Amino acid sequence: MAQRAVWLIRHEPGTSFGGTVRFSRRYPTVEKRAKVFNGSSYVPVPEDGPFLKALLSELRLLGDDKDFVESRDSCSHINKTSVYGLLVGGEELWPVVAFLRNDMIHASVPLVEQTLSPRPPLISISGISQGLELLFGIQDFLYSGQKNDTELNAKLSQLPDLLLQACPLGTLLDANLQNSLDSINFASVTQPQKQPAWKVGTYKGKPQISISITEKVKSMQYGKQDIADTWQVVGTVTCKCDLEGIMPNVTISLNLPTNGSPLQDILVHPCVTSLDSAILTSSSIDTVDDSAFSGPYKFPFTPPLESFNLCYYTSQVPVPPILGFYQMKEEEVQLKITVNLKLHESVKNNFEFCEAHIPFYNRGPITHLEYKVSFGQLEVFREKSLLVWIIGQKFPKSMEISFSGTITFGAKGHNKQPFDHICIGNTAYVKLHFRISDYTLTGCYADQHSVQVFASGKPKISAQPAVARKKHLIPKHWSYRQFLATYRKLISSDYYIWNSKAPAPVTFASLLS
Amino acid sequence: MVGTGRPLAAGKLSASSPCVLGPGLYTPFRRDVTCLLTMGPLNREAWARRLAAFRASPSTFMARAESEDLGLDLLSDLRSDKLSEQTKVSLLALSLEYSDKLWPDAPAAEAAVTSLLDTLILLPPRPSALRRPLLLAATTALVAGGALGPTSEASCRLLPLLLRLASGQDVGRAFGPTAEQHPLQATACECLRELESCKPGLLGSSLGLLRSLLGQMGPVQPLSLLLALVLHNTLVAQSRSGVGLQGLLVAGASSTGGSRWDWTLAEEGDAHLQPQAPSWPTAEEGECGLSILEPSPEEARELRAAVAQLLDTSYLLTPVAQAHLLWLLGWAMRGLRGQLPMLFKPQLVRLLGTAQLTLLHSVLALKATFGEALFTTQDEALLLRRLTLAAQHPALPSPTHLFYLHCLLSFPENCPLGPEGEEAAPLLLGPQLCRGLMPSLLHDPMALLAHLHLLCLLCAEDEEEDKGQAQSPRQFLVELLTGLLQRAALGDGPRALATLCFQATYLTASCLAGQPAILTPLIHGLAQLYQARPSLVPHFVDLLDRVGPELGEPLRKVLWQEVVTRPGPGEALGWHLQMLAEVAEGGAQSATLSFLQATAPHCTDWGLQQALLQVCRALLQTSGGDGLADLLQMLARQLEDPDGRDHARLYYMLLAHLASPKLGVALGPSLAAPALASSLVAENQGFATTLMVQETPAPIQLSVGRQKARGPLPVLRLQVEALEAVYSMELRFCVKGQLYEPLEAIHIPCLCPDRPTHPLYLTLKPRRPAPTQLQVQALYTTTTGLTCHAHLPPLSVNFADLFLPFPQSPKGSELSFFEELWDSCLPKGVESRVWCPLGSQGLETLVSQHLEPFVVVAQPPTSYHIAVHLPPHSMLLLRLEAAQADGVPVAIRTDDWAVLPMAGDYLRGLAAC
Repeated sequence: MAQRAVWLIRHEPGTSFGGTVRFSRRYPTVEKRAKVFNGSSYVPVPEDGPFLKALLSELRLLGDDKDFVESRDSCSHINKTSVYGLLVGGEELWPVVAFLRNDMIHASVPLVEQTLSPRPPLISISGISQGLELLFGIQDFLYSGQKNDTELNAKLSQLPDLLLQACPLGTLLDANLQNSLDSINFASVTQPQKQPAWKVGTYKGKPQISISITEKVKSMQYGKQDIADTWQVVGTVTCKCDLEGIMPNVTISLNLPTNGSPLQDILVHPCVTSLDSAILTSSSIDTVDDSAFSGPYKFPFTPPLESFNLCYYTSQVPVPPILGFYQMKEEEVQLKITVNLKLHESVKNNFEFCEAHIPFYNRGPITHLEYKVSFGQLEVFREKSLLVWIIGQKFPKSMEISFSGTITFGAKGHNKQPFDHICIGNTAYVKLHFRISDYTLTGCYADQHSVQVFASGKPKISAQPAVARKKHLIPKHWSYRQFLATYRKLISSDYYIWNSKAPAPVTFASLLS
Repeated sequence: MVGTGRPLAAGKLSASSPCVLGPGLYTPFRRDVTCLLTMGPLNREAWARRLAAFRASPSTFMARAESEDLGLDLLSDLRSDKLSEQTKVSLLALSLEYSDKLWPDAPAAEAAVTSLLDTLILLPPRPSALRRPLLLAATTALVAGGALGPTSEASCRLLPLLLRLASGQDVGRAFGPTAEQHPLQATACECLRELESCKPGLLGSSLGLLRSLLGQMGPVQPLSLLLALVLHNTLVAQSRSGVGLQGLLVAGASSTGGSRWDWTLAEEGDAHLQPQAPSWPTAEEGECGLSILEPSPEEARELRAAVAQLLDTSYLLTPVAQAHLLWLLGWAMRGLRGQLPMLFKPQLVRLLGTAQLTLLHSVLALKATFGEALFTTQDEALLLRRLTLAAQHPALPSPTHLFYLHCLLSFPENCPLGPEGEEAAPLLLGPQLCRGLMPSLLHDPMALLAHLHLLCLLCAEDEEEDKGQAQSPRQFLVELLTGLLQRAALGDGPRALATLCFQATYLTASCLAGQPAILTPLIHGLAQLYQARPSLVPHFVDLLDRVGPELGEPLRKVLWQEVVTRPGPGEALGWHLQMLAEVAEGGAQSATLSFLQATAPHCTDWGLQQALLQVCRALLQTSGGDGLADLLQMLARQLEDPDGRDHARLYYMLLAHLASPKLGVALGPSLAAPALASSLVAENQGFATTLMVQETPAPIQLSVGRQKARGPLPVLRLQVEALEAVYSMELRFCVKGQLYEPLEAIHIPCLCPDRPTHPLYLTLKPRRPAPTQLQVQALYTTTTGLTCHAHLPPLSVNFADLFLPFPQSPKGSELSFFEELWDSCLPKGVESRVWCPLGSQGLETLVSQHLEPFVVVAQPPTSYHIAVHLPPHSMLLLRLEAAQADGVPVAIRTDDWAVLPMAGDYLRGLAAC
């Protein structure tokens, strides 16, 4: 259970090599074991140059797809996971775990503790999940809060030191690299006995807990009789617990209002110590009925120092927050489009922003546009063949708004207008982007009764928190004041309304209903 | 000047010359500092440049002359006062990554570790960022260089040091301030774990010590992982050797003192590295040669306590470390009897709630290892549900989804039904559970293929069940494939879309070969795709070459139809011809020929002509016929390009002169390199190999057997043994010189290695009675239709092989007949007497074995008169009389004096036969 090597490769389309190796790390002791375990099927880890070339080719990132290349394009060359075999120097290096995120290819070669011929199934190789976890950890570290290349470079330069902590000899010890960074900084602090490995040091200061519930709602609306619309809420509960003591025990309960939609598919952070079986089995696979468990959802845990995602959930709310209808017809050289949107009455009509993006793919630039909007303004991006309907902060009292227009397109320019392989012919969509703060679609919330803390340590009386919005509470069984801040928000994500007059990509679920 | 110079060369690192470092600090391991050449260390920038050059391409760097010094410079500059700590850390980082390049062999690694340890000791007693990397570098160098072992002084120095650090013992002021003890302790544990991984058993005797350490003090994670690994290695080693734990779990801290390191267990387990993860699936006993270990009650109690101790504190470990611990413990305990698997049970509920990748993977490993012993049917169902949920949860990233999907299809079921090792949907995974796992056109290619595979497996399973449903998975599959085909047909779409479409087709055809309800619309869709985008021909050809006949044959027919019924030539003519070359056998030849005839005038450039000729070639291979001959003749006259004309003529000649099986072989895949200027030349090379007679190693063995002499001419009896199947074999014999008349060839229709063979008879026509050697050549056809020839080892014709008897004389007149012959030899011939040794056999045996057919007058056991006719016209007469114990005098007469020496040799050699 170890990694033979790790790479970070910046994908740079158009350059001579197609990318550059930004970071690499090899583990000779693991390599030594690989040689023994793999026997005659052993293929050594190549140097950076050949590896880069082979990986970019395998991931189809070299941008040269003019001709059919059998090793890449053959119908039997099928990859169903992020694990690849790379042809390097006439031999195949396998398994290589790799994925592309934010223009960076994250790659590693896990150790396989047996011969590679025949190939063992991936499930039997412990290094595969470890490799993926390491790469996710690196990705989280590099891109959390990172805004520009300078910051990225600064973080890249920290990686060698961090891996010396998190993965010194090829065996991953902690995928949370931020933790490793803290442990370098905390190195001078004497650690007490039974200190969890995922918590370096202890917090000193005002006790404070903040809970943030973010719900993303996605939807596919077709406006057709035979195809059911689908929508789903995906929630993330993020916590930051600033509490003194080595192992404070916290229990957070998530509550639903009386008519709230049950939370399903709950995945918890590894620090959660136990789970009610109702939480474990509540699943979107089963049909929801009135008897479904609807909380409170209790999560007892010992918090790490940093902010963490306590749990994820999904939920099936009875109606989508905004019901849409999109119709697009081609009439000679023009497109006639109509978009109607209706906000459901139960939804808080107070948006941070709300926009409808109406893109036109595989066509030329917009040359002529006549339109009418019942509400909001329209922005036109002619070259990008895109209309953006800015709805603003509130729907009107009627809750219904509409847009109609006719559009003419010019000749297709070379690579200037967007290409899409879904929106062929009249297949088209409107995508909604909105955000509502202090609101969740499921109704899920955490309040002063939701949090229980059992911590050793001296009672500490603290002043009022600086942020006025934060509520504070003093439960009876607590011996000191505990400050709690809760945040909620609803964000749209993949919220599509498809042209009802053309075929649209359907999911199996929409056909079943 | 201590530690600031640079060693001269690796060979100069002397083991002698201990030196005193300072008051009270003496070490016998200070090997190199006394014999250093004083040179200034490189500065930071120089090192940065050097390291960058090395990292860019270690092999190129190491090929340079100055590269040899890199390892030595690095070691010496680690002690330089001029370099910053940060630069030194970067030097150590390099040595951690490339120690196998810097110190590739055991002596160099040994010296390097010694130097690194010396550097460690020399560090001033203040906080330093170098101690951890130094320990790691020493460990890495020791293992990577292959120096770890009982005879290595560096090993014997590093190991006790690491163990003392790991156990939190005071190792002296030199090891930094107290604040640094914890990180160093953790690092020492890590190093020990790596050493134990590479040399299982190394820490076997410290098991009890490690256990007590974990109970007393932190840090929990490094100690837990180290203890779990040592426990794992010990248990695996014990179950291999079949002996008990021998109280190792409760042994005291024996090896931490000054006593020598105990290598016994490491050497026992030295034969193999031990995998720390189970090979899959593992529920069967004995698979890895592990015997079931039955510990004594006391040992079982200790073992249970140790495992429980590790599991109870496992929540203090990071998720990845917890997962590692579970893999190790699960694998370690699989061979043990008793209720030990139940120890894992309390951890499972906690672990099932998270979909953390490594944790869920380790739970699956426990499932595979223990099966029903740990997971009841209900538990199994819950695990499967959680896995299904994790494989589609929107909060998890795509690589995780895909890995879980793979895990679903390889799910270690309690009662697996299907064949082992193949991906299949588990029994409990019904269509209801899979609803969210269906493919969608919105997926990226890899996700789409993975989900499509699952859908295909489901369709293959419930062929019957889904009738009557509004939307069956099969209908959905057909619609999905249609969507993919439409996308692939996009004229300016990227090739990846076409590739995806063909991959999906291949996957579907492989899983659902027997389901026409799916294949028929698929074939129709592919035909439409071809209509829309003929430039995808290479994809079609690739698909046709790889799919089975269920899709391949009907698809060939449909595509053939598409090509030959196209109206007139268009821009895509080249593609159509390429396609026709692949699918020509799918349809009627007359229609193909009409199409080609109509097309030929439009083939104006070399490329099109070659494509046209490729179709002719495909037709030659499969059918032939008059129509094709006419077409080829026409092409040979009318094509503009001379290469094309030559080519057509060649095909015509081949068609006219070769029978169809031969033609098939001749035009089959050729080994000749195709990268030559003219395709004709390339092709000719192919023909050369198939049409010319090839020389090969002998496919048969020939040997001369014994033959009864009769008839007017001597006949050789040949035994044949076939080494491979050969057909139409002709054996040609040749005698050097003019001794014999030319020999006739022998024909054998067929020879197979596993069938009995008849002897062959070769009639010899000697011109003179003399032994000789026959050169043999075999000409034959192989099973693949190639004509070959081979030289066989020469066959010897001995003097005795030429012997023929005289016609039998009338009864009673034998003696007078012999006397007449005897007298007739002289005066023309010669007479002689030789001594014929008898050896152990008597005269009677000798005669009956060798000369029986030629005896004219016999008075056993003492006297024989023998007359041999030697073709063409000679005779050899022998009188064997008055035999003695060890030999018999033989009187010889012959009418041919040249025979005499051969007769003498023959007689003298008889006894030895």
